[in-house]
Amino acid sequence: MSTTEGPTLIPDDAAAQAMMDREAKMKPRKGWFPGLGEKWNTLSRQKQWLILIVVVVIAYLLPILNPPLITTEPGNNWQIALAQMSVYALVAVGLNVVVGYAGLLDLGYVAFFAVGSYTAAMFTSPDSPYVHIPYLWTLPLAMAITMFFGVMLGVPTLRLRGDYLAIVTLGFGEIVRILATIIPAMKGQVGFQNVGHPPGTDSGGQPIFLNSNGTPWYWLTLTIIILVLLAAGNLERSRVGRAWIAIREDEDAAEIMGVPTFKYKVWAFAIGASVGGLSGALFAGQVGFVNNQKFDIATSILFLAAVVMGGTGNKVGAILGGSLVAYIPLRFTAIAEFKYLIFGAALVLIMIFRPGGILPARQSLLAYGRIAYNKVKALAMKKPGTGQLTTSTGKGAGDE
Amino acid sequence: MTLLELKNVSVHYGRIQAIHDMSFKVDEGEIVSLIGANGAGKTTTMRTVSGLLNPSSGSITFAGQDITRMKAHIRVIRGISQAPEGRGIFPGMTVMENLDMGSYGRKDRSVVANDLERVFDLFPRLKERAKQFGGTMSGGEQQMLAIGRALMSNPKLLLLDEPSMGLAPQFIRQIFKIITEINKQGTTVLLVEQNANQALARAHRAFVLETGEITHSGTGKDLLANPAIKEAYLGVG
Ligand SMILES: Nc1ncnc2c1ncn2[C@@H]1O[C@H](COP(=O)(O)OP(=O)(O)OP(=O)(O)O)[C@@H](O)[C@H]1O
Ligand SMILES: [Mg+2]
Repeated sequence: MSTTEGPTLIPDDAAAQAMMDREAKMKPRKGWFPGLGEKWNTLSRQKQWLILIVVVVIAYLLPILNPPLITTEPGNNWQIALAQMSVYALVAVGLNVVVGYAGLLDLGYVAFFAVGSYTAAMFTSPDSPYVHIPYLWTLPLAMAITMFFGVMLGVPTLRLRGDYLAIVTLGFGEIVRILATIIPAMKGQVGFQNVGHPPGTDSGGQPIFLNSNGTPWYWLTLTIIILVLLAAGNLERSRVGRAWIAIREDEDAAEIMGVPTFKYKVWAFAIGASVGGLSGALFAGQVGFVNNQKFDIATSILFLAAVVMGGTGNKVGAILGGSLVAYIPLRFTAIAEFKYLIFGAALVLIMIFRPGGILPARQSLLAYGRIAYNKVKALAMKKPGTGQLTTSTGKGAGDE
Repeated sequence: MTLLELKNVSVHYGRIQAIHDMSFKVDEGEIVSLIGANGAGKTTTMRTVSGLLNPSSGSITFAGQDITRMKAHIRVIRGISQAPEGRGIFPGMTVMENLDMGSYGRKDRSVVANDLERVFDLFPRLKERAKQFGGTMSGGEQQMLAIGRALMSNPKLLLLDEPSMGLAPQFIRQIFKIITEINKQGTTVLLVEQNANQALARAHRAFVLETGEITHSGTGKDLLANPAIKEAYLGVG
């Protein structure tokens, strides 16, 4: 008789509620290629490296290959398209640290991109009255400045829960854009021409990094992406990465596991901001011109769309998503006007049918899963006798 | 010896006061149960002890040290571990990863393996399901995982918020048996329950909480025998 268990326990209701809670939580985040991650992880180290090297070589050769059908020509110069795609990919990798790893909704990411662009412009453009430094120096400088902004913005807001952060970042994005308009030193719509570029001339005496030549910019950005990916991969596998995943899954639970959640959220936010700043500086250099027109909220949402489409939390997915968001309007110029409509619709469809995106996040989690799995295996090997499954509650760990 | 002491603790949610001037002690080695109706403030109390909520007044002492303003993630390292209401496991992590997160704050990595063995001994099911995702475990299994994960920090004080919620009757008995076993192994337990029968029977001491205030206290047996409590919480007229 269930009444002996006490009147406050309503087994059916409680069980039904528990079941609903569980179902809400356990919806597998399906993606287009859900098995890919597992397959990848079963490959031997050598095979993984081989595949990676081939992919990287192809990536570097893309501007020269100019593959038919895929190319954006004749509508848009293919090399410049690649340069822009790579910048978007880098943006997505950075935003993925914030949104994907730590689960923080940043709706004003474009602000960091803008700050990075203006850093590059104001320290290198002849239109700027300030000190001029070599362009390449503006890359670390942009990272430092945006990281500083990230911390300034993160410290007060990250103590609050979820929605506040989205609103504050949304506001910050607008503030930066409006400041660029009303502060005379930032030159509003007139902007800054002839933003600097890395040094070097070719045999004909022409600078290598021309605004009209996307190839060197693409190679530079691609190299930076690879470096950032290596760093991100290391972070993912570290204690910080585990902390981020735990925060994304359940912040309170993470805190009571001993994760300093606030500190790690600020970290994620600041690291993401600095990558945003870096991509902004690269963008400014490649385009050669910065004004207040490119940093609106819609661009923020486009960045977010890139991360979500790629598969929130998956860095390879972020690269794909970022490239796609830049690529589609350039390739299909007829529909470029409708890009917000198209990506908006794509986002909605993805959220409905494939919440995991192109490459679901579990792929990146697995790096950690494998460590855990090996631990269990090691333990099982160490104590072959404990295979029995009886509830041996009489025997505690203290006896061992 | 007193392990945990709350003195005149009040907790607010905005302007709503959920806990009024609450004081109680938990001695080392005890199982102390906190029972009360829905909304009485049990979860609020637990989250205040674990540090997820800050009291608006009063003080909390743990192992002789004032921890009133200490952050939750530091309290874990000091020895307070919580299995939260609704379990709060990480759904996208495997059982093993969940358990591993339980030892996140520990510096003494070398003995973590012993705690893992202890957890697997208490809950053999978790060992069988080590690679399964937390979110796909059954309700009862998730409860085991939440308790097991909380044990992975080798706590002095284990906070359990409604461990029997949503479980089948025979399973409830098993969970309570395991709680007693954990306590026998040397862990002090503060237990919140709606399942007053079991909670009182297993507890050394217990409190009854009504709208944020302690209205009865005594040994588990005393409260079980108390007619007023029988009527209100045990479903016997
Ligand atoms: N986040 C919150 N914001 C505002 N009020 C809250 C919040 N959480 C709890 N409360 C209120 O505080 C009171 C105590 O809630 P609490 O969750 O501690 O109850 P409980 O005893 O755990 O109940 P149950 O048995 O249903 O879990 C309730 O009146 C509840 O509505
Ligand atoms: Mg509760």
